[in-house]
Amino acid sequence: MILDLHLHSELSDDSRAPVEAYLKLLQRKRAERPLDGIVLTEHRQFDPARDYRALEDRYGFRILTAAEVETDYGHVLVYGVNADIFARFDFSNVRLPAQELITEVARLGGIALPCHPGRPTVGLSAHYATKPPLEGVVAVEALNGGSRRGEDDRVQELIRRHGYHAFGGSDSHLVSFVGVCATEFDAEIRSTDDLVRELKGGRYRPVDFRARRVA
Amino acid sequence: MPFDVDPQLLGREFDRTEYGPVTADELIAYARAVGATHPCYLEPGPDLVAHPTFCVRYKSRKFYPDDLPTQIDFRRGFDAGKDIELGVPVRPGDTIHVSSAVHELYEKTGRSGAMAFIVIRFTMTNQRGETVALIDNRFLHKLGGGS
Repeated sequence: MILDLHLHSELSDDSRAPVEAYLKLLQRKRAERPLDGIVLTEHRQFDPARDYRALEDRYGFRILTAAEVETDYGHVLVYGVNADIFARFDFSNVRLPAQELITEVARLGGIALPCHPGRPTVGLSAHYATKPPLEGVVAVEALNGGSRRGEDDRVQELIRRHGYHAFGGSDSHLVSFVGVCATEFDAEIRSTDDLVRELKGGRYRPVDFRARRVA
Repeated sequence: MPFDVDPQLLGREFDRTEYGPVTADELIAYARAVGATHPCYLEPGPDLVAHPTFCVRYKSRKFYPDDLPTQIDFRRGFDAGKDIELGVPVRPGDTIHVSSAVHELYEKTGRSGAMAFIVIRFTMTNQRGETVALIDNRFLHKLGGGS
């Protein structure tokens, strides 16, 4: 099963992409980007009331929700956000303590994974150059659709040194970018609980569809 | 909110400016400049209205209120986009009132470091009190420069 684990809709301040437009594009480009679903990771927020079931039914894609938050070790994706996690952390705080976030999110039933770790200033690699490594990191986003030249290469060294699992996401803020990078899971993901369980288990790999062009 | 913002600042009008009366010539000149082709934007007469984006020419006379957080480096920044909600069309003879307030103020981090986003809401009304447009204009500034 292939999911784009990192993308933003018009709910994020820097995106104007409607969720339905993402799904329409994925339908049209199924040959190039054979995705089964998306995980919306809006910036610094999580709205448990958002319900995408009608869109799931209409377009036949799995739609899950998570969040991208900002920490003292860069940006981190939080999957499996629940009431306890949301009450524990102020997602709008751009200086969340990463170690506490990773430990506490895991304890409360979710998983927090650093994204675009090769990116200057907001990536894990930059912070590891001056601070001790974080404990409890299960995986990092090894393929990010918004990475510039060299940023994803830097992640390979991080993975080799720390033994992290690797996943991928488009980090799309524009409709046309959805699914350019994604994650292939061995198991089927039906729910957020499934997603968290599989992410913790490491049975997945990043997939890159950027070079795949079908006429 | 990570940096100190006086909650009273949000939504408080810091500028009110009046423009007009609008002339048919300026509506037509604007429409031609943006490549509009529909006669309602180009032909003088009772049906002439402004092209929808005409309202973006209106701003506050004062750019920002005086009491924004001092951590924001106002010397380094740029226009980061606008959301426009249109009301009634602008017509020749209209007077446009622009009320300006800080709608949102937030911080985020990116490749280049910490940034502040200031969203100014311009509420535009005509002489009849009808809303012409609501424009949320987002400005980005670097943080840490201060003073």
